[in-house]
Amino acid sequence: MQLATGGLSPSVLGRLRAAACVLLASGAPAIAHADAGATTKVDASLLVYGEQNRAKVTEPTARLTRLFPDGQTLSAQLGIDVITGASPTGALPSGVDSVGPPQTYTTPSGNVVTVPPPPPDRIPLSPFKDTRVALDGSWFRPLGLLTSTIGGNFSREKDYQSLGGNAKVSLDLMHRLTTLTLGAGLNHDSVFPVGGTPVGLSAGGLPLSRAHDPKQVVSGMAGLSRILTRRWMMAVSGTRMREQGYLTEPYKVLSILDPATGHSVGQLTEKRPSTRNRTDVLGSSVYHLTRDLVYVSYRYYWDDWSVRSHTLDLKYRHALPGEAYLEPHVRFYSQTAASFFRSGLVQGDPIPEYATSDDRLGSLRTGTIGATVGFRVPEYPGEWTVRAEYIGQFGNRHPGDVVGVQRQYDLFPTLNIGTLVVGYSITF
Amino acid sequence: MRRTAGRLACAALLLGLLALSAGCAANAVKPWDRDLLAEPQMRYAPNPMLNAVDDHVYFSKEGSTGGMDVDGGGCGCN
Repeated sequence: MQLATGGLSPSVLGRLRAAACVLLASGAPAIAHADAGATTKVDASLLVYGEQNRAKVTEPTARLTRLFPDGQTLSAQLGIDVITGASPTGALPSGVDSVGPPQTYTTPSGNVVTVPPPPPDRIPLSPFKDTRVALDGSWFRPLGLLTSTIGGNFSREKDYQSLGGNAKVSLDLMHRLTTLTLGAGLNHDSVFPVGGTPVGLSAGGLPLSRAHDPKQVVSGMAGLSRILTRRWMMAVSGTRMREQGYLTEPYKVLSILDPATGHSVGQLTEKRPSTRNRTDVLGSSVYHLTRDLVYVSYRYYWDDWSVRSHTLDLKYRHALPGEAYLEPHVRFYSQTAASFFRSGLVQGDPIPEYATSDDRLGSLRTGTIGATVGFRVPEYPGEWTVRAEYIGQFGNRHPGDVVGVQRQYDLFPTLNIGTLVVGYSITF
Repeated sequence: MRRTAGRLACAALLLGLLALSAGCAANAVKPWDRDLLAEPQMRYAPNPMLNAVDDHVYFSKEGSTGGMDVDGGGCGCN
């Protein structure tokens, strides 16, 4: 469109140009809305996850989204996790260099199994098998400068059930350059270990209860997103979460060590506090280069169990011909140990109020490297996504709180994990 | 040392929040300049399904959780 200058002053001309642009810009969505009816989007994905010599997970997921002309969307998602393999019991290596009797465990899937004793320097693992079914739904609704999202979720596995809801409201401010978001969520979970809930820090035996132990999670978040330039937007958000109820891992144990030799002479069940207050602050940035995009995020997390963590995530989306892209990804994660983390307990020492040897509450670092490829197959509808990643987890291999022979063992061998995700999306 | 680093990180993020809320962008981006911003990949999490997979994997292997959302179901994996 050209505007003849005629006898108009430069300021009037400028205003007319701006008005024409605004009309063109604001008219485009209206035309699109008039032409479009409701559409349906189907997303399907398959995750294959494997830890070296440990757990394997296969997780197919399907998501159905109905997009209405007024901008509302309704979506439902079904995911099924099939989990097999083995996980650490929490016990330390036996340290005894002799053929002992077979060991009997209650596994994380609730089965009682008897296995030969592991080598004296090897961390004991417990085999398990479980299936988790998860259903999620959400309703997104635009209301002028406001948008609201209401969601719900339900999941069930052999010894755990979760039921929750959440709501989020976003408000566009300053000519839609700034978006303020507030949200809240509530989950009511139940833990019902097979064989009953064990008494914390006991040698096992009779369970404390066979009832469903409740666990309630209340969370709230506030976030601010800002468009800084034509190519760059940034966001800062904070989340606060309070967990209350049964937060102990019912199948994990701690070894009791002989103070002189370091040999394992027994074991106790673990016990964690019944509340946990978690907080995190997340900063995110997306920058559009000429064709490629750079995604950066950093999260700082802390809780009242003394776990503190840093997470840095970087992605670079490189545009390829024909709407395809290649997206390398790296992630770095580092956390401190919970205040009640113990590698093991020494015989004769006072038993603490709380104790766990779960690696996930110890000092650890995680590194991730991988790449995603997105592409369309010519003459076929839909978009494919394939992602392969390596995750390495590194912990304290020689912790200072063990004694005797345990000091010679590698108590946190590097955990090597491979993941493959294949996704497909189609809109009709 | 770690606590100091954590406090510095927290302070930096809070400063970022203040800067964003104060509207420190040099120039407002006009509606007709938002072509790139309107692209579907111009989002903090352009692929929600991959994001959900990541949340689940890291929740089950690490002691932290959190992010931009309050949704997502509980899991007995951690």
